Amino acid sequence: MLIAIDHHSGVPVYRQLMDQIKFHIASGLLNAGEKLPTTRSLSAELGVNPMTVSKAYGYLEAEGILERRRGLPLTVSHLRPEKIEVQKLHRLRQSLAPIVAIARQLGVEKSQALELFGRMLDDAEDQEES
Amino acid sequence: MESAFEVKNLTKTFGDVTALDNVSVSVPGPAVVGLIGRNGSGKTTLLRHVIGLYLPTSGHCTTLGCPSDKLGSDELSRIGVVHQENRFLEWMKVEQQLRYVSSFYKRWDKDLEQRLVDELELEPSARVGTLSPGNAQKLGIILAVCHRPNLLILDEPISGLDPITREQFLRFLLELLHQDANTIVISSHVLHDVEKVINRVICLDKGRIKADASLDDLQERFAEWRVTVKAGRLPTHFEENYVVSQEVDSYQARLLVKGASDSLDAFKTRYGVDVDSSPLNLESMFPLLLQENA
Repeated sequence: MLIAIDHHSGVPVYRQLMDQIKFHIASGLLNAGEKLPTTRSLSAELGVNPMTVSKAYGYLEAEGILERRRGLPLTVSHLRPEKIEVQKLHRLRQSLAPIVAIARQLGVEKSQALELFGRMLDDAEDQEES
Repeated sequence: MESAFEVKNLTKTFGDVTALDNVSVSVPGPAVVGLIGRNGSGKTTLLRHVIGLYLPTSGHCTTLGCPSDKLGSDELSRIGVVHQENRFLEWMKVEQQLRYVSSFYKRWDKDLEQRLVDELELEPSARVGTLSPGNAQKLGIILAVCHRPNLLILDEPISGLDPITREQFLRFLLELLHQDANTIVISSHVLHDVEKVINRVICLDKGRIKADASLDDLQERFAEWRVTVKAGRLPTHFEENYVVSQEVDSYQARLLVKGASDSLDAFKTRYGVDVDSSPLNLESMFPLLLQENA
């Protein structure tokens, strides 16, 4: 699991952890039933406070995204596909928010912005195929 | 679990100078506390009370469950301290200084000592008096941690270290936290570095507590708003009480806000603006903490 923490972004580290773990799940890099690293090994690997890792794990457990059976390591829950879909869109929405602000500041027409987004999606797909 | 230390209504004066002014703070373990503040804000004075080096003019200080003026060898052997200025026996070699200090402790971990001397690249046969400030700092750190203390107090421990050694040292602190140390207190103004390891912030200014909160809470409390007008002009001054600092021209503004995430939508509607909200790191937050009335 590749996680990168930016200690100076001002975003609380536990939130960065939660966001990235959710991203891994939504994008299929982490699958249902897969084990997560222990609090101790993840905190050592990332150089973050172990209490921060357990806070992130705790919230993800409370949200039902991770689950812990007694005596067993923490694993990714079996989420309904709809729930994963919701996660994906939520994540995309988060990333698009600043783009929307920039488009408005630049005064780019809605139709132009949509066309650009569509074209860029097509290009990315073409590149993958070729 | 006993608290690492607890200070109640602590005031300390030196002649006419009030170094600490009615300070109350309680640190239950486990925690990594960043004690931050400008020069002369009282950080060192507070830490010296915690280890029983200063006596309060009034008020109380309890460390590891014991009044800090009565700390005995049992408690002291569970505390490790790195002082701002190290005082060593300068004629000794590094290895002699290590043997000398280790002889005071029952729980001295020789393997840990060896590992740290190797990792921090300290030369055992060097004379202590000839060490560079950075190397003296490293020695001070090794001397403070090898008896595996439960409470580790670090007064400006990283200011003299180069960036690579600082990183090594911060990682090592986290490792200590897993093992024995329940509580680590780091006083520093190198906020950039301590931000990586601390989970609690205590901010002192002119002998008073300005903030005492978890780092996560502080990061969620403060934000920077970049405001862009959609039509018309911005007011010359924003009166909202959550705006703690502002730079405004007619079409754009940069606001620093506190506890305002719930007010964002109302703000946008009221002024007809777009707002790009981003969080603040500890360094950008620090001047705002000094304005707090905790």
